Amino acid sequence: MAEIPNVRLSLPGSAENVLVVRQALTGVAASVTLDAIECNDVNTAVSEACNNVVMHAYDGSEGPLEVDVFARRGAIAVVVRDHGRGMRPRELEPDEAHTGMGIPVIQALTRRAEFTHLAGGGTEVRMEFDTPKARSLDPIDGDDDPAVVRMQAPVEGTVELQLAPNAIARSVLPRVLSALAARAYFSTDRIADVQLAADELTAGAHGSISGARLDVGVKVAPRNLQLRVGPLRTGGTLAMSLLDERADDR
Amino acid sequence: MLRLEAPGAIDHVQALFRRWQDDGDRDAREELVRMHMPLARGLARRYGRSSEPFEDLLQVASLGLLKALDRYDAERGHPFASFAVPTILGEMRRYFRDSGWAVHVPRGAQERALKVRDARERLANRNGRAPTVNQLAEYLELDIEAVIDALQAVHAYDTLSLDAPRPSADGDGEAYVDSLGGEDERFELVELDATLAAVLGEIPPRERLILHMRFVEDLTQTEIAQRLSISQMQVSRLLRRSLEQLRTLTQAG
Repeated sequence: MAEIPNVRLSLPGSAENVLVVRQALTGVAASVTLDAIECNDVNTAVSEACNNVVMHAYDGSEGPLEVDVFARRGAIAVVVRDHGRGMRPRELEPDEAHTGMGIPVIQALTRRAEFTHLAGGGTEVRMEFDTPKARSLDPIDGDDDPAVVRMQAPVEGTVELQLAPNAIARSVLPRVLSALAARAYFSTDRIADVQLAADELTAGAHGSISGARLDVGVKVAPRNLQLRVGPLRTGGTLAMSLLDERADDR
Repeated sequence: MLRLEAPGAIDHVQALFRRWQDDGDRDAREELVRMHMPLARGLARRYGRSSEPFEDLLQVASLGLLKALDRYDAERGHPFASFAVPTILGEMRRYFRDSGWAVHVPRGAQERALKVRDARERLANRNGRAPTVNQLAEYLELDIEAVIDALQAVHAYDTLSLDAPRPSADGDGEAYVDSLGGEDERFELVELDATLAAVLGEIPPRERLILHMRFVEDLTQTEIAQRLSISQMQVSRLLRRSLEQLRTLTQAG
């Protein structure tokens, strides 16, 4: 049986989206009670893997970046995936002259790091962290739901999230949406509204979604976040726009 | 990814190591330190991102670099960087553990959250509207991520203190709301169904007014705060309370 992540992110592999990944990880760290050093280790190693995708996987152009987070008792695992060129394991060979800093950093901060080529192109970096005090969280219950195992390709340019609708969603979604709102030049006023909206979405999720997971898609435009939330019990998805018409363009 | 050693440079590095480790040539050591300082600096920046004063961390990283220079075994043929990175990171982690950083950080984050909250109020009062994250980051000389973390901390704090007694500064606002109490506050939350209207009566007048200002008049939280002479944080808190109440009421109904 495929292991189901607690949080799954699929987003355009751009430098600014690494911040979004970091916010999601910080949210996970808060909900499983990692200490500041553990959180820093996870954030630093995963940032390296993501930066590698941003800079090298697609030969200078932008392609999808996928991040899965598994929170198990005493251990956090994060998988970073691309569908381009990715990290080539030969870069790992110790006598290779072109040693980048990213891979040694990942190896130094993880208990185990595994680099795998994907059939059909792309690379998967699986990072396991020793976090002895981490609480375990319910995984997304996806046995009857093949869509969870293989994420659909994201709509062009959107940030897609799959979350177990529990403590982890309450901790991750407000952070992720705040980071996106900040990028969309929202004023801090409106970000406070966005945080409220995220709280409402996650609090109401159990009653109103049909599956065992919450799917959130976000399209970011200046002063405008367009959200799709689902799958609704009544069928379809809920679409909403969070706007800030007043903010400055910076 | 940062390229640490160009192919041809490897031999040069190995030669320097031989001069330093075999002959005790201090010039060679100096040269090695100078060559690898960018590595130490890069690691300090990556690992230390938003906390410790950067200069302290850089010093710890440099210490790690010196350690790595002394312990590196050139004969084994591994590039120096693959040995130095874990050594330098190990030094920084140990420093964090020993200095109680894991304990300090939450406190530092708390202080920063208060700083961000105050700066937000100050800028909002000065400019008549709330600042963006970029403006706050610039004003406080923090990076964007630190400001977002702080906003989240402020938000979490608001959530926790929901049940706390209302601050006395509310007094003015209360009177203002009372004076408007009789006004017909027709309230429509876009796309929400009619059951809402039935439960709105259960919401206290002041909260109802704030909901109205926020969602019907489409005022910002700062503007509402100014009209009611309360802080933006209080507006946020009251909004949250009424939204929660609305949810409970609609679910009960």
